[in-house]
Amino acid sequence: MLKRFRIRSRQIGAVVLLMGGLLSFPAPAKIFSPTTFTLDNGLQVVVVSNHRAPVVTQMLWYKVGAADEPAGKSGIAHYLEHLMFKGTKEVPAGEFSRRIALEGGEENAFTAWDYTAYFITIAADRLDLAMKLEADRMINLALRDKETVPELAVVVSERQQRTDNDPEGRFREQLDATEWLNHPYRKPIIGWPDELRALTRADAEDFYRRNYTPANAVLVLSGDVTPEQARKLAEATFGKIKRGPTPPPRVRANEPPASAERRLILRDAEVQQPVLQRSYRAPGWRTGDHTQADALDVLAELLGGGEVGTLYQDLVVKQKLAASVDVSYDSSAWDGSRFVIAATPRPGVAIKKLETAMNEALADLQTHGVKAQDVADAKQRLERSAIFARDSVMAPAYVFGMALTTGATIDDVESWPDRMKAVMPDQVNAAARTILGAPDFVTGVLMPDPHAPRPAQAALSAPTAEAQGAIR
Amino acid sequence: MTRFLRHALVLTIAFLLVAPQVQAMQIEEVSSAKGLKAWLVEDHAYPIISLQFAFRGGVEQDPPDKQGLSMLAAGLLSEGAGKLDAAQFQKALAQNAITFGISAGRDDLVGSLKTLTTTRDKAVHLAHLALTQPRFDPDAVTRAKQQQIVQMKMSLADPGWQARRALFAQIFGDHPYALRSLGSAKTLAAISDQDLHAFSRNRLARNNLVIAATGDITPQELGEMVDALFGDLPATATLRPVTDVKPKLDGRLTMVERQGVQTVMLFAAPGLKRDDPDWFAAQILNYALGGGDFSSRLMKEVREERGLTYGIGTSLAPMDHAALLVGQAQTDQTKTAEAWKVTRDVWTKLAHDGLTSAEIDESKKYLTGSLPLAFTTLDKTASVLLDVQQNNLGRDYLDRRNAMIQAVTPADIKRVAQRLLDPAQLTVVMVGDVPALKPDTTQPMTKD
Repeated sequence: MLKRFRIRSRQIGAVVLLMGGLLSFPAPAKIFSPTTFTLDNGLQVVVVSNHRAPVVTQMLWYKVGAADEPAGKSGIAHYLEHLMFKGTKEVPAGEFSRRIALEGGEENAFTAWDYTAYFITIAADRLDLAMKLEADRMINLALRDKETVPELAVVVSERQQRTDNDPEGRFREQLDATEWLNHPYRKPIIGWPDELRALTRADAEDFYRRNYTPANAVLVLSGDVTPEQARKLAEATFGKIKRGPTPPPRVRANEPPASAERRLILRDAEVQQPVLQRSYRAPGWRTGDHTQADALDVLAELLGGGEVGTLYQDLVVKQKLAASVDVSYDSSAWDGSRFVIAATPRPGVAIKKLETAMNEALADLQTHGVKAQDVADAKQRLERSAIFARDSVMAPAYVFGMALTTGATIDDVESWPDRMKAVMPDQVNAAARTILGAPDFVTGVLMPDPHAPRPAQAALSAPTAEAQGAIR
Repeated sequence: MTRFLRHALVLTIAFLLVAPQVQAMQIEEVSSAKGLKAWLVEDHAYPIISLQFAFRGGVEQDPPDKQGLSMLAAGLLSEGAGKLDAAQFQKALAQNAITFGISAGRDDLVGSLKTLTTTRDKAVHLAHLALTQPRFDPDAVTRAKQQQIVQMKMSLADPGWQARRALFAQIFGDHPYALRSLGSAKTLAAISDQDLHAFSRNRLARNNLVIAATGDITPQELGEMVDALFGDLPATATLRPVTDVKPKLDGRLTMVERQGVQTVMLFAAPGLKRDDPDWFAAQILNYALGGGDFSSRLMKEVREERGLTYGIGTSLAPMDHAALLVGQAQTDQTKTAEAWKVTRDVWTKLAHDGLTSAEIDESKKYLTGSLPLAFTTLDKTASVLLDVQQNNLGRDYLDRRNAMIQAVTPADIKRVAQRLLDPAQLTVVMVGDVPALKPDTTQPMTKD
């Protein structure tokens, strides 16, 4: 299911990585062959036609996320996402979801650090409704305390469920805050508890007015729709929206170099299974070295591509120290990214032992480099994933939306298999040495500890009736 | 993050929601030379074949002292077969872009084989090896057991798992449905090589097998494919008979004690098996009660109106030998009593009054209109075909379903509401610490 979007998977190829090969016909350089056009008001529209099933996924991506929030207002981007369902001048609260459901459609939304996306999957002959409704709430949101107050309680509940009540959730939150010294990627998307509870309707309206405009969004239509149909519908719906104010520049707080190795330990009485996580600073696509980013894609697959990943074979199969190994890298970020290796020790194996083995494996990698065959195998797996990617209505909408909101281009998506093909072992080695050889990495350990105190209750409970008024 | 959490409880129901579009889809029944049957939807849009299959007999087959056997053995089938050890077998799959795996559900073993047209023969060869010559090498077995233990330990820290564990133990008692799918360290240690080989011999046979396929393959080719895959399996599976069971739904409130910020509430009521004549009425009822995301009564009352939860939902859970209606919510510890009261009130009201005609109409519109969404990928399509076969719904089921949904009357709904929603049978397990609710039973969490 959808997680908060520190996507722990591979980058632009991320969702694409489901699949297989190109043996049967000449390897197409293109994956989805999209068309694109931009409306007069600045809204970019991307169309990926797939007539296999009479269904369309519409995804509207705003180029704003948790990393763009004003100081002290963590959680506002996500709170607004919730509130986008709470009524416009034309469509009362709850009606958006109801009207889509009446047409057999499914809808939801998610917030990440660099984007907020709203999607509807619906029978193709009802796409016009989806577009009307989405265009309407881009400019006509009309919020009332009657809805915004209970919805804040819902968001607090969500925070509790995903984080406060879940040791792994707390662990991840602490890791994010440790990995980044100053950049807003360190904040939880759901918001820090006190800041979250203090958010107001006015905060949401302010964030909405500043960031939700056609020129600050990308619309992706994927499925049983032609570019001509898409253009016609887009003009008739989103096209009626005036160009708004220029979107604010996306300049986030600078992330200074880190000069120390960081270590984080979370002890919890309920946790039975330790987890080890190591993360290294790595390039994001927009600001980073593309050659290095592509090489890291290959490296992540080489090390952690399922059971055939070399780190799995080493730590799990040969040394019998780990039960699982997971390697992820995603360059889809407006600013920087992370190369992450996670592992769980087998029963009876001390986490220190696993960590030492991991360190040795990574040191060995930097000293001796990768095997050419392993690189070839990893590349082959990645390239082939492209063909299976097309067998999905939703996947293209994700892939293009994620790319275009984080400073990548359509061509970056389409050329991904070719770029993977072009990665050479020496580039992989160079990337490994630079990225995995940096001394400022973060190590996180989630530990069972029967004596660990329960997390503090006071700061974590829902807003009280007195503070919020309307909650019964 | 998502503004709505889809519960793990929402089972296989979703893709049975059917609408007119499927008439465009031709389902062919293929009979192979060796007498195997498979359903096929030919689709040459991509050079991909998606095959899904199931062997009846799942976790419920595990001996109580060897719980975890089905999951362990099913996973190990892909960890070395014929002359290929685990690493070699997995490499052969990965480098040929073949996806293959079998996993254990409660009632059956479910498998899938996905391949490009060009590597079809290789895929069949490897899958056939796994089905007929699994190696169960000591290293692989030890590793798989330890991995399963790690999975189990992670479950222990999940209050949702603790709730399911407590509920199933309580309502199913000694029946195999109360068995733990992952097992425990103790029961896994008791599983021997003989057990694993016996699994392979006894559980994978031609008479408990159902097959569905879609993609770039003709009926003739599929016939050959299934014969190559399954043709030399034993004719008959050796299964322990499992009896039907009436879950003990006595309306009690069980508190599994846990200090935490939130309570997990897992509630259960009688459900319907898939072949019950009231099935569609129950689908409509469930959609309005808690299956329908934001249009459901429970979401409206508990989340939208009062902000008491991030998500509350219900779903029908038909099994081979029992049937339930289940629901789940997580809520702030201090709000649990209120959330449960509201849930019970909604439940009781629905039991007495049934649905409004507007609600029935809206449910029908969603259920019929969402059909096309069930077929947006080859895998989803194959999965639907498999499910329709497993439940003996008939090859024309997808064409008939709309009419059956539309034919449900308010009287049907009222009858089903009374069958399923008796408040005295609404049984709940809570994982939390809410003494104010005066639980009928208080018990500790499962520790290992």
